[in-house]
Amino acid sequence: MGALFRSEEMSLCQLFIQPEAAYTTVAELGEIGIAQFRDLNPELSAFQRKFTAEVRRCDEMERKVNYIKKELIKDGMEVKDLFYNLPPVPNPREFIDLEALFEKTENEILELSENFNQLLQNFQELTELRYVLERTQSFFSEHVSNYEGSKAEEAGETQQLGFVAGVIEREKVLGFERILWRISRGNVFLRHADIETPFTDPKTGREHHKNVFVAFFQGDQLKTRVKKVCAGYHASLYPCPNNYEERDDMLKGVMTRLQDLTMVINQTKDQRQRVLVSVSKDLPKWIIIVKKIKAIYHTMNLFNIDVSGKCLIGECWIPTNDLHLVQSALTNGSNVVGSTVPSFMNVIATNENPPTFNRTNRFTQGFQNLIDAFGVANYREANPALYTIITFPFLFAIMFGDLGHGIIMFLFGLWMVTSEKKLLMQKSKNEIWNIFFGGRYIILLMGFFSMYTGLIYNDCFSKTMNIFGSSWKIAYNESTIMNNTEGQLQLNPSDDSLVEGRTYPFGLDPAWMLATNKIIFLNSFKMKVSIIFGVVHMIFGVIMSVVNYNHFRRRSSIILEFLPQILFLVLLFAYMVFMMFWKWFRFSPKSQPPYSPGCAPSVLIYFINMMLFGENKYPDGCEEYMFPYQQEVQLYFVIIALLCIPWMLLGKPLFIMCTGGNKGHGDHGDEPMSEIWIHQAIHTIEYVLNTISHTASYLRLWALSLAHAQLSEVLWGMVLNIGLTQSLYVGGAILFPIFGAWAVLTLAILVMMEGLSAFLHTLRLHWVEFMSKFYTGTGYIFAPFHFKTILNEEED
Amino acid sequence: MGFMFNIDAGYLEGLCRGFKCGILKQSDYLNLVQCETLEDLKLHLQGTDYGQFLANEPSPLAVSVIDDKLREKLVIEFQHMRNHAVEPLSTFLDFITYSYMIDNIILLITGTLHQRPISELIPKCHPLGSFEQMEAIHVAATPAELYNAVLVDTPLAPFFVDCISEQDLDEMNIEIIRNTLYKAYLEAFYDFCKGLGGTTADVMCEILAFEADRRAIIITINSFGTELSKDDRQKLYPRCGKMFPDGLAALARADDYEQVKAVAEYYAEYAALFDGSGNNPGDKTLEDKFFEHEVKLNVYAFMQQFHFGVFYSYLKLKEQECRNIVWIAECVAQKHRAKIDNYIPIF
Repeated sequence: MGALFRSEEMSLCQLFIQPEAAYTTVAELGEIGIAQFRDLNPELSAFQRKFTAEVRRCDEMERKVNYIKKELIKDGMEVKDLFYNLPPVPNPREFIDLEALFEKTENEILELSENFNQLLQNFQELTELRYVLERTQSFFSEHVSNYEGSKAEEAGETQQLGFVAGVIEREKVLGFERILWRISRGNVFLRHADIETPFTDPKTGREHHKNVFVAFFQGDQLKTRVKKVCAGYHASLYPCPNNYEERDDMLKGVMTRLQDLTMVINQTKDQRQRVLVSVSKDLPKWIIIVKKIKAIYHTMNLFNIDVSGKCLIGECWIPTNDLHLVQSALTNGSNVVGSTVPSFMNVIATNENPPTFNRTNRFTQGFQNLIDAFGVANYREANPALYTIITFPFLFAIMFGDLGHGIIMFLFGLWMVTSEKKLLMQKSKNEIWNIFFGGRYIILLMGFFSMYTGLIYNDCFSKTMNIFGSSWKIAYNESTIMNNTEGQLQLNPSDDSLVEGRTYPFGLDPAWMLATNKIIFLNSFKMKVSIIFGVVHMIFGVIMSVVNYNHFRRRSSIILEFLPQILFLVLLFAYMVFMMFWKWFRFSPKSQPPYSPGCAPSVLIYFINMMLFGENKYPDGCEEYMFPYQQEVQLYFVIIALLCIPWMLLGKPLFIMCTGGNKGHGDHGDEPMSEIWIHQAIHTIEYVLNTISHTASYLRLWALSLAHAQLSEVLWGMVLNIGLTQSLYVGGAILFPIFGAWAVLTLAILVMMEGLSAFLHTLRLHWVEFMSKFYTGTGYIFAPFHFKTILNEEED
Repeated sequence: MGFMFNIDAGYLEGLCRGFKCGILKQSDYLNLVQCETLEDLKLHLQGTDYGQFLANEPSPLAVSVIDDKLREKLVIEFQHMRNHAVEPLSTFLDFITYSYMIDNIILLITGTLHQRPISELIPKCHPLGSFEQMEAIHVAATPAELYNAVLVDTPLAPFFVDCISEQDLDEMNIEIIRNTLYKAYLEAFYDFCKGLGGTTADVMCEILAFEADRRAIIITINSFGTELSKDDRQKLYPRCGKMFPDGLAALARADDYEQVKAVAEYYAEYAALFDGSGNNPGDKTLEDKFFEHEVKLNVYAFMQQFHFGVFYSYLKLKEQECRNIVWIAECVAQKHRAKIDNYIPIF
C-alpha cells in the first residue's frame, strides 16, 4: 500500500540493443509492460522510419486476417476474443511462415468464395429463367386471345410481333415501363408479374425483389432499342420460345439443371465450411499475434540507430523498482536469438519531468481513477487517492444515509465484486455499465457506509427500527391519549418519569420518528455534523500540503504558507466546531441556569458576532458567554486569524526577495517578481474566501441527506401507504401492484438518481473542497508499452 | 436569422464544419510530396482524417484505386448530409448534384458516340450525378430523342429546353449541349440562391458568378480555331456573372487570347489571374489560377455562419483535395517528381 502515498520513482533509461535482438527484446518488454518509450525521431514522418517496411507487412497481414474474419462472420461463425492463453510473439522466422500461411489461407478462401459465388450466380440465372418460363405463360395466352379477338382483321401486319422476356428489379419497373413507352411512342406493350421470393445477391448478400416481364413490339429497329433500354436498366433477358410446348420442354430442362446445380452448391458450401471451421480455431490467435508484431515494430520505429549502425538506442521511462525486470528482459531477448554481444541499459540523469505512475490493484484502481479524472498528480506529489478510499464512501454515506437503500447498493456492489472474473470476460461495450463496473469497489464501500449511516440516522426506507427499545416512556394514561384533541402531547426530557435513564445505545432514538419536531431536531444535528466533518476534512487537506512541502524541499513554505493557512482555519472554523461540542456537553435538560436548555446559545449567531465583535443577546438568568474568558479568547483568535492574511500574502514573496533568487522553487522557474506577487495575492484571496465558502459548501451533506430522507418518506407515504392502509382483503390485491410501483420508484429515484447526485456532490467535495488545499495535478500519466493495453484498445 | 437557421440546418452545418476540419493542411501536403511510393502515401493518409480508408485494399496500390476511394468517402459524406436535409437545404444540395448529372450525360453520350459499351462507361460516371434513366441514354440518337425519352423525367429537363433539335449527335453538338445545359443550370442555381436570400445569397452568388465568368472565358478561349460561330458562342455564356452584360458582349467579339485578356483587364480579380498565368514551364496555367481563385472563394464561405454556402464549398474544396492527392499520387507512381508541387493547397 505504500505505493499509494505518492507516485513511484521513475528513471530515464537508455537501452542499447543489438539489432538482431531488438525484436525479441521489445517483445519481452511488451509482455511485462513497464517501459514507456520516447520518440527519438519526432522529426521523421511515419514512412521515413526504419521499420516502415515491416509495419507495412503487418498492415497487409492485418488486412488478410480481417478478410478472413469477415468471411467467417458472413457465414454466421463467431470469432471469439481470447482473454487468457494469449499467444506469445513468434520470432521473426516464424513471422515469415505466418505470412505465407495467411497468404495461402486467404487465397484458398478467395478461390472458394469466387467459385461459390459463380455457382450462386448461375443458380440465380437459372431460377430467373425458370420464373420467366412459368410466368410468361399467362401473358402469352392473353396475348393470343387479344390477338385473335380485336386484331384478327389486321392479322397480316401483326404476324411479325416480336417480344423479349426477362427479369428486372422491382423498383425499376415503373421507370422501365415509362421509358419504353417514350422511346416507342406507346408502341411497346409491356406485361410484368411479381416474383414473390426475393433473390439474394451473392456478392453483397442483399435481398432484391424482381419482376418477370415480357415486352411485345413490332419491327427490328424497335427491337434493338428495347434491348438497349433493357441493358440500361440492368434487366437480364432470357430466351423464351414462342409456343407452349417448347416452353414446357425448356422448363423441364431448366428444372433438372437446377437440381444438379443445387447438389454442386451444397458440396461447395460444405467444403468452404470445412476450410472456415479449421481457420476459425486459429483466427483469434492470429489476430493477436499480428497486433503484437505491429506494436513491436511501431515501438522499434521510436528507436535511434547508433552512429556505427551496430546497435539500436531506445529511451524509456521505467519505474526504478522494476529496473531489474527490464534488465532480465534485455538478457532474455538476447538469449533467444543467441546474440553474442549483450544488450545493456544505462540510467541517465535528466531534468525532465517524469511521468506519474501509481501502482494500483483492482481495489484501488477505481479510487485512483476518481483522482486522475480531476488531474493526474505531479511526479511524486502526495496522492489523495489513498485517503479517498475511506473519505469518499463516508461523505457519500452521510448524504445517502438509509439502511435499506444502502443494502441494495451494497448487494449490487458485492455482486459485481464477487462475479468480477465472469463479468470481465464478457467485455461489455455498454459505456454506462462499464462506468458502474469500473467503480464496483467504490459502490461496494459506498453501500456499506450507507448502511452504517442509515443505522445512525435510524432510517430504513424512511422507517425507524426499534432495535434496543426507545429510551422514552409514555407516562400519559390511556384516556389522556385517546381523548387528546389539542393536538400535541409533550415529552419533557427533564422529567424522569418519561426517560428510561439511559441514552439510546446506537444511533437515533426511534421515538423521534413520531415527533412533530423531528425535522427541526434532525436539521440541527445534521447541519452540525456536516460542518464538523467538513472542517476536519479541510484541516486534513491543509496538513497534507506539509507532506508536499517536505518532500519537495520547500520547507520555507511550511512557515510561510502552511502555518498561516492552518491557523486561519483552526482559529475560526475549528473554534466554531469546538463551540458546537461545548454546547452539546455543557447544556442539558436537567442542568440549572445558566446551563439550562433555555440558555443554550445559537452557535451560528455567536460565530457571526465573534467576527463582527458584536454583543450577544441573552435571556434573563443566563450568561452571555458559554465559558469564562470566552470573549477574550475569541478576540485573540480573530485578531490572530486576521494577521494570518498579510502573513500569507507577504511572507513568500518577501522571502524570495530576501534570499535573492528562486533557487529551489521548482514551479517558479524564472518568473519575474511581479508575477510572484500577483500569484501570491490571488492565492491568498482564494484561500481566505474559500475557507468560508468551502465550509458552507459542506452543508450540502446536510441538504442532500435531508432531501433523501424526505423523498423516501414521501414515497412511502404517497405510494406504499395506500396499499398498506386498505382494510379487508382488497388491500392484499391492491398492495401487489403498489408494491411494484414503490419498489421501482425506490430503485430508480432513490437509489439510482439520488445515489448519482450524492456521488457527484461527494466528488465535488473531494475535488474542490479537499484537493484544492494541497493538490496541483498537472502531471502526465505513465503509459508503458504493454501488449495487454494495446489489445484492449484495439477492440474498442 | 441565425437562430431560425439552426432549427433545420444547424446540425448539418456543424457536421459540415466538422468534415471541413479534416481537409488536409499544408503540412500534410509537405509530407505527402516526400513520399517515395504509393504505400508511403497510404501510410501518411492513415494519420489524417482519411484514417483506414485504404486499409482493405491489397497491395500494390493503383492510383485509380486511391481516386475511387477518395471519391467514395466524399460521396458518402455528402449523401449523409443530403439524407438528413430538409427544404430548402435539400433542394440546394440537389442543385449541387445537377452539375454532376450534366457531366455524366455528356460522358455517356460521348462514349456511345465512340462505340464504347455502356457497361464500360458507367463506372466512370460520378456517383453524385447518377440517376435512374442514365444507363438507357444510348437509345437516343438526336437531342430531341434524348429529351423526350430520357431527360424529360429528370430534374435536368427544364435546362434542356434550349438544346432540343433534330440534328444528329456529334462531337460539336455534344459540346454545345453541355455548355447550354450548364449555362441554364448555373443561371437557375444562381436564381435559386438569390431567392433564398440572406448570407446564402451573398456567399453563393459570389461563387456562382465566378463560375459563370470562368466558363465564359474558357469557352471563348477554347473556341478559337473551331467552327463555332461567334453568335453560337455568345449563346453559351452563362448570364449570371460579373461580366454580364458588357464583358460578355466584349468576349463575344474576341478573336484571340490577347483580346480575351484585354476584356478581363476591366475586372480586377480576373486581371490578376491572367497576369499570374503563363504557358512557360514553371508558370501556372490559367486553369490552375482559376482553381486557386475558386479555392479562395470557397474558403471564404466558411468565414460566415448560418448559410448553405458551406455545403457547396466543402464539396468543392474536398474535390480539389482529391485532385491534389491524385496528382501527387500520379507523380509518385510515375516517378515524375518535377511537377509534384503543382497541387493547389487549401489551408
